[in-house]
Amino acid sequence: MSQNFITEATVFEEVKKAIAETLNIDKDSITAESSLIKDLGAESLDFLDINYRLEQAFGIKMARHFILEHIEEMFGEGSAIDANSRITDKAVSLLQFRMGENFPELRAGMDMDEVPALVTVQSLTRGVLDILDSLPEKCSACGNSEWQSENSLRIKCGSCQEYAAFTNGDDLIKAWLTKVQEEKKIF
Amino acid sequence: MMKILQGIDIVDISKLKRIIQKNKTFISDIFTEKEREYCESRKDPYIHFAGRFAAKESFMKALGTGFSGIGIDHLFQEIEVLPAPSGKPELHIKGWAEKLAKKRRIRQCTVSISHASDYAVASVILIGN
Ligand SMILES: [Zn+2]
Repeated sequence: MSQNFITEATVFEEVKKAIAETLNIDKDSITAESSLIKDLGAESLDFLDINYRLEQAFGIKMARHFILEHIEEMFGEGSAIDANSRITDKAVSLLQFRMGENFPELRAGMDMDEVPALVTVQSLTRGVLDILDSLPEKCSACGNSEWQSENSLRIKCGSCQEYAAFTNGDDLIKAWLTKVQEEKKIF
Repeated sequence: MMKILQGIDIVDISKLKRIIQKNKTFISDIFTEKEREYCESRKDPYIHFAGRFAAKESFMKALGTGFSGIGIDHLFQEIEVLPAPSGKPELHIKGWAEKLAKKRRIRQCTVSISHASDYAVASVILIGN
């Protein structure tokens, strides 16, 4: 529901800005489909830097645990990764279902370490938007429902001036997995 | 059959220093309490943080874990690199890192770290069966 306050275009611009500043490249050379590793030359330290910039810009907390780890936590040992570090068919269908259009190269039997190269500007934007979408109906500090946007990136309570508290990335993944399992019974 | 896995990584020390100084939670997200104590007790902590980061990354490469990219991987913190009494670095793993190592039946692990001017490098060799 935060889309009313922070648009997808704003998030996309901010993601591009974070990437451009981290990698010291021209913001206009970045497209939605750019792979951070393959097209823009990011390494793991850059990913950390970019994620921290986004956390600070929007006042959110990105996930600390990868979805594959959450899958095993929830559905048991071996449900996401086999003995050769390959992603299981069931985990691939879940990932496809979650990030489908944003992860077009995702396929069954791929190695876990092929995943980072799949991350694009679009999938990172989606990750931020998912968290922003968790904006609660009412302010948790005062109970009023008077959200306002501050400089188009942060959402503040118009009544008590507290910043909005979003659900963190890990809790969102867990809630999503629970819901999908109930509906589709993949595991 | 015995299998040998290797990973190597190089870290730009000033780049890591810049990112650490800019982000309050970086150190506690990426390093363990003991790693932090050790690095901060040294004359130039950033050289040691960089060497440790390179070792964690080398372990992840050797094991083929990848990282999520969307988020800040706790995996880094689950790979702890501390000096043994001999002074040689040793690697200890827990959580998801340990689970992934078990899947590949890793039995032994060695790590080596070095640095010169602005770079730290590390290499990890894993032996599994
Ligand atoms: Zn309020």
